[in-house]
Amino acid sequence: MNWNYVVRRVLMMIPVLIGVSILGFSMMQLAPGGFTALYTLNPNTSAEDIERIKRAWGLDRPMHVQYLTWARRMLTGDWGNSFRGGANVRDLIVERIPATVQLMGTALAIAIILGFVIGALGAYRQYSIFDYLATTGALIALSIPTFWFGLMVIYIFAERLGWIPSGGSESLRAGETGFLDRLHHLVAPALVLALVLTAQWSRYFRSAFLEVIHQDYIRTAHAKGLPSGLVLRRHALRNALLPLIALAGMQLPVLFGGALVTESVFGWAGMGRLFLDALTFRDFPVVMAMLMVTSFLVILGNLIADIALSIIDPRIRFN
Amino acid sequence: MSDYKRMLERVGQKELNRRRLLKGAGGIGLGAAAGAFPRGLRLRGARAQEGGEVIVGMSQETINYNPLLYANTGIDTVPEVLMFDSLLKILPDGTFAPNLAAEVPTVENGGISPDGLTWTFKLRQGVTWHDGEPFTSRDVRFTWETVMNPDVAVRSRAGHDKIESLDTPDDHTVIIKLKEPFAPFIHVWTSGVTGVIPHHILSKEADINIAPFNTQSPIGTGPFKFVEHVGGDHLTVERNPNYHLGPAKLDRVIVKVVPELPVLYTQFKTGEIDVIDYQGIVPDRWEEAQTLPDRVVVGSPSNFVEFIYFNNARPFFQDKRVKQALYHAIDVDTIIDVIYYGVPRRTNSYLSPDHWAYNPDLPTYPFDLDRANALLDEAGWVRGDDGIRVKDGVRLSFTNSTTAGATNREATQQYIQQTWKEIGVEMTINNMPAAVVWGEYTIQSQFDTLLVAWDNPIPSDPDPTSRLHSTLIPAESGAGANYVQFKNAEADALMEQGVTETDQEKRKEIYYKLQEILADELPWLPIFNWTDPFGYKSNLVGYQVNPYSATNLGNVYEWYWQE
Repeated sequence: MNWNYVVRRVLMMIPVLIGVSILGFSMMQLAPGGFTALYTLNPNTSAEDIERIKRAWGLDRPMHVQYLTWARRMLTGDWGNSFRGGANVRDLIVERIPATVQLMGTALAIAIILGFVIGALGAYRQYSIFDYLATTGALIALSIPTFWFGLMVIYIFAERLGWIPSGGSESLRAGETGFLDRLHHLVAPALVLALVLTAQWSRYFRSAFLEVIHQDYIRTAHAKGLPSGLVLRRHALRNALLPLIALAGMQLPVLFGGALVTESVFGWAGMGRLFLDALTFRDFPVVMAMLMVTSFLVILGNLIADIALSIIDPRIRFN
Repeated sequence: MSDYKRMLERVGQKELNRRRLLKGAGGIGLGAAAGAFPRGLRLRGARAQEGGEVIVGMSQETINYNPLLYANTGIDTVPEVLMFDSLLKILPDGTFAPNLAAEVPTVENGGISPDGLTWTFKLRQGVTWHDGEPFTSRDVRFTWETVMNPDVAVRSRAGHDKIESLDTPDDHTVIIKLKEPFAPFIHVWTSGVTGVIPHHILSKEADINIAPFNTQSPIGTGPFKFVEHVGGDHLTVERNPNYHLGPAKLDRVIVKVVPELPVLYTQFKTGEIDVIDYQGIVPDRWEEAQTLPDRVVVGSPSNFVEFIYFNNARPFFQDKRVKQALYHAIDVDTIIDVIYYGVPRRTNSYLSPDHWAYNPDLPTYPFDLDRANALLDEAGWVRGDDGIRVKDGVRLSFTNSTTAGATNREATQQYIQQTWKEIGVEMTINNMPAAVVWGEYTIQSQFDTLLVAWDNPIPSDPDPTSRLHSTLIPAESGAGANYVQFKNAEADALMEQGVTETDQEKRKEIYYKLQEILADELPWLPIFNWTDPFGYKSNLVGYQVNPYSATNLGNVYEWYWQE
């Protein structure tokens, strides 16, 4: 392990995050519209009211002043306050983590396990009927709009058959709550989300395996008489996993970022909906904070993947 | 076959739709009747049940519990009426009842001085905040001071800016002096306009805009106390045993967010929610909803009117005949029946047809393309080579904007676009996200026309001054909400007279006259009065449609379950 390298990579995060914040802040300021538009639709709010509301939130000041104020507060650990009610932005984000990780974690776990099995079998028996079915299935799963699919699942399994609840993360009625109830609510959104993710992961695994099993050292291993199960486990699998570790690192922001569409359809109170609402209402403090958290996770995920790779793959050397 | 002709063919469905509408009206009757039963009355031998909970489903999240600060009327009005009170409440018949005030001030009882300038509110004794502190006139004074505080992002000062001084001679008296007589002033003190906030908590906050009170720890005087808010999921409130109008029968009320409308309906059908509130039953399932067992659906009249808003400063809208022609070329009945499944009702004014000041004798503009063409010919607009009319080198071509993605609005626009094209008018659809179209674009009157729903500045009062007075055009003066840039001296005079006149019958005459002018000049085209397609479980007693309030949940403390 080369600690110098790790420290250098961590230090490199700083300019990247500053760059992202400036870019994000400017884009939001330059985009037309603003959170006061919501007040316009309120019939007893007049133009003076809107000017006063802007002033109260400091939105009448020049852009660079607003940015520096925001950045200074961010550095001291104050993530600012939502324009809608003034709640602390960090609290708003932290509140959504459990539900988000629950949904995304379940869906990702299903997707990675199923994707691995489907991808490995497909590669091992390339151009078999199973491989064709898996490929076609993945294509269909990736093409179905999640919004429509989610609504159909609710219509059939919740409204017609009554097997599952039609949304939310728990039954709110007294006496009906508990672990099993939460699990019952999780099934449909997790499976809907897992469908698309499984399709993606099965393709990743398939191509990673294919690349490896045509390598010379696999042929050598077969040639020296090793049983093919052992060749697969010891030689093919380990090497096929390498590119997937890099991919797994990039799942970190996905895990915390939530799923916009699935969360909306199933009324799941995750990060995706928080982001969507904040963007719809132009609640910039929330949008900025989520942008920063996501950027941080992207960089962190990549860093962890790089370090993990360097440990597993002796060919990788730091420079 | 053009979409337009296909739509005309569907007009054949109208009869069916009317029948459906009548059925819907039956629902209204039923809802009102249920609400009219005195508390504790046993229906059909069923016993009233103490306790229990009600889950109310809504498509948007309640977010700001400070009654003065929230922006999302209709959504955040719900927690306001659950947890907070105003001095007065407005009843479904448009009359007032005392709430935190001990009586409704009138000239007869000495509450209003004969010149209309001094208002005296006697406050109810023995009212406490949820934390046990007594409610006094100091809280009312603090509420007004907060509204007028320049550093607080209060949603509106409408009415409060007419106050010259507010005095509190003792703990239970508030004396308000107005700068000038202002007839709608009584509405200022109702729920949804001015909820009273606690002095003993909020006066200690350095910045009320970000006070934890707004989102995590609201303290009111209302029938329910705050329990929890789970972001993106639900709000829970529990019974306030000391409520001054009698404690609620229900133990808890949960307001649940169901963001997608089709799913909101599913939850109503499966019983996961007990009451379906804003935005209600999705129109294409309205007919099915009426056949659901153990459910009552109500077409709840709202104050919101759907308009075509004109930017009257544009050259082609200077001549009222052009706007009259455009009105004749909108097939309102088909829009209501086909796009909105017969749920909303037609209105010829900016008021709902139920409003006490609605003028029933206004001229109407039936769908008549020949009449529309004749009006445009008369106004000197001649068809050019491309079929679009031209006058003095100006083509009769303009944009119409609304929130992008609002499906029914977009269908309405497309249909209007077709019928207007028939009379040689080119309308281009230019939709934008809500945060854009309702921002500067609206306020600075940068639009040609908008498709938009608004209710009146003070919903239960007919005064439209801020939206129509010539001195209140934000693009010119930075003040008001006259985004249509309407300028009419006679209308100005009537509106000035209307707010100073205190006699209701005389006010009616004034607003009748004003509506006549508007129906002739057409600064906007009223299309229909929104009817909210709501519903509740039939063993829930007490649900009451209140057309003068932004929510029907104003009397939840009277609701109970029948066994």
